[in-house]
Amino acid sequence: MLETFSLPFVQKGLIEVLLLAIPAGLIGSWVVLRGLAFFSHAIGTAAFPGLVLADGIGFSPALGAFGAAGVFAGLTALLGRVKRSSTDSITATVLVGCLATGVLLASDVFGSSSSVDNLLFGSLLSIGGNDILLAAVAAVLAIATTVLFGHRWLARGFDETGSAQVGNRHLLDGALLVVVALTVTASLNAIGALLISALIVIPAATIRLVTKRVGLQLAGSVALVALEGTFGLWLSVETNAPPGATIAVASGVLFALTLAVTRLGRRRSRAALAVALIAGGGVIAGCGGTGSDSGQLKVVATTTQAGDLAAQVGGDKIDLTTILKPNTDPHEYEPRPSDVTAVADADLVFRSGGHLDEWTEQIISDSGSDAKVVDLSQGIPVKLEGEEEHEHAEEGHSEEEHAEEPGEELDPHWWHDPVNVKAAVGEIEESLAEAEPDDAGYFRERATAYEARVAELNRQIAKCIDAVPPAERKIVTDHDAFGYYTKRYGIETVGTVIPALTTQAQPSAGDLAELEDTIRKENVKAVFPEESVPPALSNAVARDTGASTDYTLYGDTLGPEGSPGETWLGMMKSNTDNIMLGMTDGRKDCFGTSG
Amino acid sequence: MIDWLLEPLRFGASLRALIEVTLIGVAGGVVGCWVILYRVSYSAESLAHGLLPGLVAATLLGLPILLGGAVGIVAAAILIALVNRFARESADTAIAVVITGLFGFGVLLALSPDTPPGTAELLFGDLLGVSDTELLTSAGILLAVIASVWLMHDRLLAAGFDAGAGPSLGLSPSVMSGVVLVLVALTVLVGVQGLGNLLVAAVLVTPAAAARLLTDRFRPMLILAVATALLAGVAGVYLSYYLKVAAGASVVAVLVLAYLAAAAAATLLPRAIRPTSLNT
Repeated sequence: MLETFSLPFVQKGLIEVLLLAIPAGLIGSWVVLRGLAFFSHAIGTAAFPGLVLADGIGFSPALGAFGAAGVFAGLTALLGRVKRSSTDSITATVLVGCLATGVLLASDVFGSSSSVDNLLFGSLLSIGGNDILLAAVAAVLAIATTVLFGHRWLARGFDETGSAQVGNRHLLDGALLVVVALTVTASLNAIGALLISALIVIPAATIRLVTKRVGLQLAGSVALVALEGTFGLWLSVETNAPPGATIAVASGVLFALTLAVTRLGRRRSRAALAVALIAGGGVIAGCGGTGSDSGQLKVVATTTQAGDLAAQVGGDKIDLTTILKPNTDPHEYEPRPSDVTAVADADLVFRSGGHLDEWTEQIISDSGSDAKVVDLSQGIPVKLEGEEEHEHAEEGHSEEEHAEEPGEELDPHWWHDPVNVKAAVGEIEESLAEAEPDDAGYFRERATAYEARVAELNRQIAKCIDAVPPAERKIVTDHDAFGYYTKRYGIETVGTVIPALTTQAQPSAGDLAELEDTIRKENVKAVFPEESVPPALSNAVARDTGASTDYTLYGDTLGPEGSPGETWLGMMKSNTDNIMLGMTDGRKDCFGTSG
Repeated sequence: MIDWLLEPLRFGASLRALIEVTLIGVAGGVVGCWVILYRVSYSAESLAHGLLPGLVAATLLGLPILLGGAVGIVAAAILIALVNRFARESADTAIAVVITGLFGFGVLLALSPDTPPGTAELLFGDLLGVSDTELLTSAGILLAVIASVWLMHDRLLAAGFDAGAGPSLGLSPSVMSGVVLVLVALTVLVGVQGLGNLLVAAVLVTPAAAARLLTDRFRPMLILAVATALLAGVAGVYLSYYLKVAAGASVVAVLVLAYLAAAAAATLLPRAIRPTSLNT
């Protein structure tokens, strides 16, 4: 048990959750006492547009979240003065207004917002110094305001009507709302907007089942948040689950148990307790067990492609961990405890580069790892600019947009060009040889053999695609992931369904209609969905235009074991076959992978 | 002008989006009035998050997603009612406890490698991606919602207006709030595929809240709420078509603007036409 807490990233999480216990417990008690649960939930979720802005313009997310919380609280207070309005409907309306603003900003103003998802969920495993500082500030303010205003907040909580006599009502309420907002903002990075009540409401509500004395509630809630946070963090590392959700479930279960014990009869509650203990024990016993030390070179790869290339070169001389799993959307990645542990132990980390794995730096600094990081996208010969937001828009218009955007970003899907892959293989070989000079010969041999296969595959694909007249080489893909492939083989991407490199952007009816016009005009025969992206939109476009969606491509990730796209070579063959079949109406393929 | 209005209809995706916002608008406008009357906005906003474990479990078990969602959301509604009753806590606290616990459970379930990708899509939905089958299902649920509201209208109204008088008339207000929660759950199911988890609350609360600002009588409020929801829905789709902005978010943005306009009107209009209590 104590071993877990010797890991540096777990220690940081522990410090954060223990610090947060103070504001979350104190303010949580007031939230429960005063019925502010909806407000605290809403103000956390309403941070979304602030986070998108912070991400897009490039300032501190905490500042963005707090700014959005301020706008939220101000609007709610302002609208509350309109006759016949009710607080809860205003809270809901302002909340959805904030969310819609966030989606519009993410889809139409800033092309990408890949880190926003992380903040909606948050993680105790990626806590930085600023988060701890913010938690400390919130803790100090929570103590100060509770000491100063506590008795008056209490008076108002018990006597809604007579409260006007006790001091200045607006000022007091305002102070409470500000501390709630600050507490919520401080907890966002640790647990995320949608689970915020797990720290702020559930523990305080649990304590209130046991005692109605306010002093005890305050102290008890702080202690319980600390306890549940520590337990949840420990359990999440042992079971390799995200800590936020673990804490939410653990505190929910404890609430249910306390409810059973305090409200049901003694006999029934004992039975319930026994069942829960047995179930809980089973869960904990079923998990655990750590990897062994093999003495091999420990290598971590971020994406599935980087992982496959590293495996091809490293063979059985390296102990390889690939962080992203096949067929999962890298845009939705949330660090798991095992990922951070693997990075902490690693000698060498291969990054694929760009926004697909931009979380790598964070994990490396959190884990206290001294591994050498190799960004494979740095040394590739063919580089394309990313964020081609409206490829199918009119030329002049799109150029203007480009000028505004920070255009330095690289399209991270470089591995769809074999020439780049060959260079990356060379780089992997060099790095491995440098780290383990004894095996340099072994690595060179494997890399050379693999490079030959890559070059051969490149020739085969080019030859096969040459059979299609250039005028007919037109495709529509799900999101903009195939720029390198189409450039290499002279194919024109006439449009993409999701209008940005990130899969999180939401399309507009106008863009989709324009795309359908293009498909009809250019006589595009197939829209290619991707394995890791839900196909609803591609299907909608296909239904309208009569294009086929039978041919699925591997875009952001390789396929799971046993699928044609399990390895990079397999992925390229499968993609080529499907693109060929799509362009030729199912008449011709190259490698026969789709049976 | 006519051409301007007809042009988006040439495209299947925007046509289906218009049908979908019509369905969501009617359901949301009608049920929203009860949400406002029973003051269950928080439930309306949060029940959608309670969908997650049901949806994930259904995809893992290979069951129809809608079925999983329905089971999950009804379970959430029952749990909220139980906690509310046994813990004697405010409804707010009960909702926060139950929904957060369930959502955490859903996140853990979604970690299974068998879970298909697209949790983010569940959260935001895709108005332009709805299929004909989904439209039919939504229409079916909408009919069920309208029928139950029509049948129970008087009882809902009696219990909603006077929680004290309810039991003497042989009606328990807590049972009737349970009925409202189930209606909310059904409406969430209509809207979740189009607007997604986070935004579906908009159509359930905002139109009715805006209508409430303008009238004290229930029937006009109902008509006004449905009209607002429909107009905002259609306007949102046209905005998304002509200005090329995200579809679902446009609909919600128009709804919120409508609410702000109603708030301004309610403040600026002469006091005389605004009596203070809700009458039938």
